[in-house]
Amino acid sequence: MTFVFVNGKLSGRTDDGVGLAKALIKDRREGKLPPTLNVRYREETDSVMINTDSGRLVRAVIVVKNGKALVTKEDINLLEGNHIGWDDLVKAGKIEYLDADEEEDAYVALNEEDLTPQHTHMEITPLSVFGTQASLLPFINHSNAHRNVTAVKSVQQGVGTYATNYLIRMDNDSMIAIDQQVPIVKTKMYDNDYLRDHVFGQNIVVAVVSYLGYNMDDAIIINKSSIERGLFRSMFFRPYKVEETKYIGGQSDVITIPDKDVAGYRSEDAYRFLDEDGISYPSAEVDSGDVLIGRISPPRFVSSIDKFRLGVQKQIESSVECRTGEGGIVDSVFLTSTSDGNKYVSLKVRQDRRVEVGDKFGSRSGQKGVVGMLLDESDMPFTYSGIIPDLIFSPYSLPARMSMAYLLELLGGKVGAMAGRYVDGTPFTGESEESLRKELHAHGFRENGVETMYNGITGEQMQTRIFIGDMTYIRLKHFVSNKIQWRARGPIQLLTRQPTEGKSKSGGLRLGEMEKDCFVAYGAALSLKERFDSDKISIPVCSKCGMIAVYNVKKKTGYCQLDGEDAPIKLIEVSASFKILLDELKSVGIYPKIAVGKKV
Amino acid sequence: MEIPEKYLRAFKNKYGEDANIEELKKIYEKALITPGEDVGVIAAQSIGEASTQLTLRTKHTAGLTIINTTTGLPRLIEIFDAKKDISTPFMDVYLKPEFAKSKQKATELADSIIEVKIGDLVSSYDISMKRKAIELLFDKDALKTYGITLRTVLSKLEKMKLPVHMEDNKIVITDKTADNVKKLIKLRSKLTETNLSGIPHISRAILNRDKEGNFWIKTVGTNLEAILKLDDVDQTRTISNDIIEVSKVLGIEAARNLIVSEVYNTLQSVGLKVDLRHIFVISDAMCMDGTVKGIGRYGLSGETESVFARAAFEIPLKHIVEAGLYHETDKFDYVANNIMSNQVIPVGTGSIKLIVKKDGTEDKGKTKGKDKE
Repeated sequence: MTFVFVNGKLSGRTDDGVGLAKALIKDRREGKLPPTLNVRYREETDSVMINTDSGRLVRAVIVVKNGKALVTKEDINLLEGNHIGWDDLVKAGKIEYLDADEEEDAYVALNEEDLTPQHTHMEITPLSVFGTQASLLPFINHSNAHRNVTAVKSVQQGVGTYATNYLIRMDNDSMIAIDQQVPIVKTKMYDNDYLRDHVFGQNIVVAVVSYLGYNMDDAIIINKSSIERGLFRSMFFRPYKVEETKYIGGQSDVITIPDKDVAGYRSEDAYRFLDEDGISYPSAEVDSGDVLIGRISPPRFVSSIDKFRLGVQKQIESSVECRTGEGGIVDSVFLTSTSDGNKYVSLKVRQDRRVEVGDKFGSRSGQKGVVGMLLDESDMPFTYSGIIPDLIFSPYSLPARMSMAYLLELLGGKVGAMAGRYVDGTPFTGESEESLRKELHAHGFRENGVETMYNGITGEQMQTRIFIGDMTYIRLKHFVSNKIQWRARGPIQLLTRQPTEGKSKSGGLRLGEMEKDCFVAYGAALSLKERFDSDKISIPVCSKCGMIAVYNVKKKTGYCQLDGEDAPIKLIEVSASFKILLDELKSVGIYPKIAVGKKV
Repeated sequence: MEIPEKYLRAFKNKYGEDANIEELKKIYEKALITPGEDVGVIAAQSIGEASTQLTLRTKHTAGLTIINTTTGLPRLIEIFDAKKDISTPFMDVYLKPEFAKSKQKATELADSIIEVKIGDLVSSYDISMKRKAIELLFDKDALKTYGITLRTVLSKLEKMKLPVHMEDNKIVITDKTADNVKKLIKLRSKLTETNLSGIPHISRAILNRDKEGNFWIKTVGTNLEAILKLDDVDQTRTISNDIIEVSKVLGIEAARNLIVSEVYNTLQSVGLKVDLRHIFVISDAMCMDGTVKGIGRYGLSGETESVFARAAFEIPLKHIVEAGLYHETDKFDYVANNIMSNQVIPVGTGSIKLIVKKDGTEDKGKTKGKDKE
């Protein structure tokens, strides 16, 4: 007795499990059942599993009968002539979808040549062993598998056009490349309609050479003049969102230009871009610290010292200002209301992002690196025919990683650029290295792609011939300008008086425990003290009882709360965090008595 | 500056009797550590940096005659924590020079020190609640290989003042006081652990031969005290790798030297070069007060004099509350507590205090510092 499970639920019994599975598959191929229904007879548990639910991964394969694929040359001719479509083949049972369960019993051939009578299915293309992303990478069957994983991760981070309606979207981290090109070395996947319209990266001239020492260890040198001509230029959008919140008691925020009597008023200059409605106008060239949307909030009621003060309570300024280092042009302003009926303003600041030292670039073969130097065109190396590379890549990145796809793409790109055609770099089925070499030779180059080059600074001929060609490079989303952070002085935390943490709060860079140990080991006691002076305070201590006393710095007098006016008070310099520790000890009932020694 | 005699002699041997001693003085002073140098932190960094590299490299050796010993980072942790039960205890037993070349003597010694327990010989136990007795059936082959007769077993058990008698080829131990099975099971486990011959804790002994043809024995398990009492053993060279045991048997200086050699060998076996003097500093600190102390909460760090330095290390609440209860004083002469309160640490440039009054006379006042009670 065989049990039948439908979507994992026991639904019936049958005497002939194998027959049932076969019959269901036959019906599916005849179009009587939906194409995504999958059946399998499980020998080990003697049960038939039928799956129709959503969320299963299915993949399309060609059905094979008696060692012959059901999709024939005729079908392909009809397909190419647009007489039939994909759905017709599926309906005819020539192509079917397998899920993970049914795939267990399938014997899938890679090519038509491999077909034997035992085979049940055939791959539509060998490329389908890769995912969508991996199939965009040229020649990856020549590379180390790990490099291909890295390459996919790189390509995912590429800056392109992530959505065509980006102008009216309010995404965070929105980056758009201004110019994008179809890669010279393509894979079959690029013929897909969507990918043809959403390409990324640019075709540039790359030389594989060590130059000036500025492309060591995965760094790259980029031609500054190419950058000035617009290479890899992109835009960065930063959205700001402000809501006119309503509070209990009928009061609400107001989006407007704050008056001068508002608590926390910045300066007239800071509000110079605001229109009468309190929102800065599109095309305003704002800089960090400028107010983008002016807003005033009603005075706070709870937990404020203000309520003990006399007079009218002031409105509080709560404007939104441009983030530090993200000045740009106000791109667009959107006005709407929230579901609560509050006025809602969102505004986008556009920034022009040129390439600068520290920006990250990657190829489609897992070779990524940061810009080590922007070198002027006049100082770049050049070939005998006057070609100046846009990018200089270090040859030391290649042997250990064995990313042969990089070299093949460079060679293929050179052929494509000379012949004015796209090169097919599809894994397994693309153009071969030999044919590329032959074609390059026919164009008057050395077949291995190397050329004589000259040092751009001295004009001397380089002793080695340099491998130079064309390939696609992608600007990755890690821009230095989004990450750079430094500080000399800045905000501190209220409790500990130590510097704040994190870039958004313009925090300090911590001298950690291990770094401290290095100061100690070196014996730099006074330098170490100075590094930790960020929260130093001077506290008055009563010499009699050892507790913190009260001291008036101007009058230079003080008193101890235990020993009165006559108590001898000394000022000692400690960290604010240590004072908190002493306070906390007092709060749990431990008496930390400080005995002050003589001053040195 | 006084120059130690041995350096003076070495200098004169090299450059002749009338060599310039001032030159030697200069060299000697240069070689001395600078006053105020924090040798502890430097030692910790020197060993710590090296041990980050050996974390991933733990070698495993499997085999019959090769003894598996803990190496790499696990062994280093074991040493610095001064663990009482180390995971692979072993001894290197050397024979006295006169027997060292005799294989027969070495084999005899190796055989005699392996511990044989009753548990190794018994093929089956029978617990009878009716008779309130345990019947031991012995494996004849095992008896033969270890050269033990039932009579010796019997006499050994009689010495333990147990009511024993023989029945056929069984040994029966009765316990009239046993009123439940638990008691008998307890007795049985005691019996299996009873030593018949050899030295307790030594489970295996492997014969080795060095380049000069001298035999020595490597044992699994240690019992240094018992081994050193044997006549054939060379007491001057035989050593265990259990630091705590060595400190009990041979004294603290031996333990200190063992720490140095164990740490040095562990680091060297994975190809790391750490200066011996760094290890000296740490092993000296561990053996400072006559017993071996680990580095950590229950060792050196947990016994620091300063309250705040201890609190900064681990479980601050416990240390601070205890300081309050027992009226402890923190003299602020450690690194951690001075950093905490943002004072100049008494190390390096901070350890030097030159106090001169305006008129040029020396100030006899005490240095700056705060005491906390």
